[in-house]
Amino acid sequence: MTIASGTVREAAIAAPPPAPAATSPARPRKRRQLTRNRWGYAYVAPFFLVFAAFSLYPFMYTAWVSLHETSLSNINGGTWVGLENYRDLLQSEFFWNATRNTFTIGILATVPQLCMALGLAHLLNYKLRGRTFFRTVMLMPYATSIAAATLVFSQLFGRDYGLINTMLEAVGLQAIDWEAGTVSSQVAIAVIVTWRWTGYNALIYLAAMQSIPGELYEAAEIDGASKWKQFLHVTIPSLRPTILFTIVVSTIGAVQLFGEPLLFAGNGTTSGGASGQYQTLGLLMYQQGWSNFHIGQAATTAWAMFMIILVIVGVNAVIGRLRNRADR
Amino acid sequence: MATVSFQQASRIYPKAERPAVDALDLEIADGEFLVLVGPSGCGKSTSLRMLAGLEEVDTGSIVIGDRDVTDSPPKERDIAMVFQNYALYPHMTVEENMGFALKLAGISKDERATRVREAAKILDLEAYLARRPKALSGGQRQRVAMGRAIVRNPQVFLMDEPLSNLDAKLRVQTRTQIAALQRRLGTTTVYVTHDQVEAMTMGDRVAVLKDGVLQQCDTPGELYDRPANVFVAGFIGSPAMNLVTGDAVDGGVQVGGAVLPVPRDQLTRAAASNGTVTVGFRPEAVRLAAPGEGLPVRVEVVEQLGSDAFLYTSLADAPDDVLHSADLVVRTEPRSGVTSGQQLWLSTDRSALHVFDAQTQQRVD
Repeated sequence: MTIASGTVREAAIAAPPPAPAATSPARPRKRRQLTRNRWGYAYVAPFFLVFAAFSLYPFMYTAWVSLHETSLSNINGGTWVGLENYRDLLQSEFFWNATRNTFTIGILATVPQLCMALGLAHLLNYKLRGRTFFRTVMLMPYATSIAAATLVFSQLFGRDYGLINTMLEAVGLQAIDWEAGTVSSQVAIAVIVTWRWTGYNALIYLAAMQSIPGELYEAAEIDGASKWKQFLHVTIPSLRPTILFTIVVSTIGAVQLFGEPLLFAGNGTTSGGASGQYQTLGLLMYQQGWSNFHIGQAATTAWAMFMIILVIVGVNAVIGRLRNRADR
Repeated sequence: MATVSFQQASRIYPKAERPAVDALDLEIADGEFLVLVGPSGCGKSTSLRMLAGLEEVDTGSIVIGDRDVTDSPPKERDIAMVFQNYALYPHMTVEENMGFALKLAGISKDERATRVREAAKILDLEAYLARRPKALSGGQRQRVAMGRAIVRNPQVFLMDEPLSNLDAKLRVQTRTQIAALQRRLGTTTVYVTHDQVEAMTMGDRVAVLKDGVLQQCDTPGELYDRPANVFVAGFIGSPAMNLVTGDAVDGGVQVGGAVLPVPRDQLTRAAASNGTVTVGFRPEAVRLAAPGEGLPVRVEVVEQLGSDAFLYTSLADAPDDVLHSADLVVRTEPRSGVTSGQQLWLSTDRSALHVFDAQTQQRVD
């Protein structure tokens, strides 16, 4: 797409007969710039070709499918229904249930995850013995497959012989049927997500922290700031762009949450628990398309997820810009 | 307001061969402007940071007022510091930057605003209070850094090369402003610089350091007129003092084919260690002598400054092993008509000679 428009523009510029420089001085310069940059365009072309074939085209095709009543076995032979799928989706209680679950799990996972990542990064930023070891260890959950991790966690959260319930009982508390309850199941899933992504975010924060000049901390120390105040008044404000970035990335991840709730069920069903108590949008989409074969409906959900992400990222960008403007 | 004293204070970095600061003894009077000067790596910044509490004191102690602060954290020392890169908080406005220490000290918002405004007025920053550092010029940032120090009304100001990020013209301007501000506030100030002109123009007293060791601490005038050793003699003054080393002979020091006359008793004491003597004389203490008298030199370069001219010369007949130092610099009238390549004869007043023992490098009077 980008390439196409690029070449079209180039052609358009090349087409008109060379005008006298006095009448349009901007044009030759623009052309010169394009021809000067032709190798740059050539080098980025492969990426955009692949992008067009495997991202842009499926993306647009999904939009097209979402406007049809169509089944998995006959994707191209659907009947045109316009925005019918979208209307159905907005009236579907499953959709709203999944949206709600996605949001609550998202918040339960993202907020503690980023807070813990910030704290861990701060600790790792001190001169520690074996710092590299700790940093490597932190990234290990990220390198673990979701399937393996979730299987272990669903054992931990098991009702009868799970380690967590055993410990709860050991200290005299009641065992919890983690999978069955709405809150408990969502907490359990949030724990898995948090476990997996905290280290990753911590490393991003750590990298950003290391670029904060040490003099700022010294100045703050002389100004009378305790370590905590230094963290609050020097570290956090300096990390603000990074924090915004991790929020966006984690939010996108949270909206697309799929593997953890799917595997947490233990039996590979996409219903997200007996009463859909932890069915996320990702699970719903899969259920619509690949369990119920309504691929048009699934495409609609996919687009709804995309819209939600767009809105959240947009809001973040606006907040970021407002803060930047306030900075000036 | 307070006195500051370093008592045998040393800083030894782990695995370092020699201390970064070696048994520093310094007494700084109340309200004094003391400049620490020396080449890079001489330990001047480390000394300042030891006083600030940012660097450990390994042995010895540091006293501010009558309080031993050797082991106190920076915030308990009642000091304010201006950093070389200013270290302004980028996300805070000028006002917030200047008021941050007051805010942490729990001072009310109104009083904070009043004090920040007072400081801003002194520093001509009132128009920029709502700006962030990145929207300021280098000179303005420097003033904000100063302002952050003065709003706190601390006992001691510490300044770590605060002018080195300014351009030459602004540096000269700000130099006088800082000196005037310090006189007006009367706050004890310790100022670090590598620029001896800054040191000479700003300080009540100047402490010259080399390799972590204090060489001399005195008023600018005394440093210039009576440098304690060869290093100080060569470091203070621009262009630097002419230093020549040669064997002590009858009546003076052998420099190339000529003999530089040195009073007898000075010469004998200076030659006591190994018979060689270093003699120094400033460019302005040199006179052009009649041909055949004094040191014969060849003019290499003539530097015209308008108010005066500097002749960069080399000894006409010097074997390399006698002349350890480089060329001799002579200050003359701007329109003396001397051209490069010309042969001249130089003589100096005996009273303007600085005599050093070449072995110990110490001054001999």
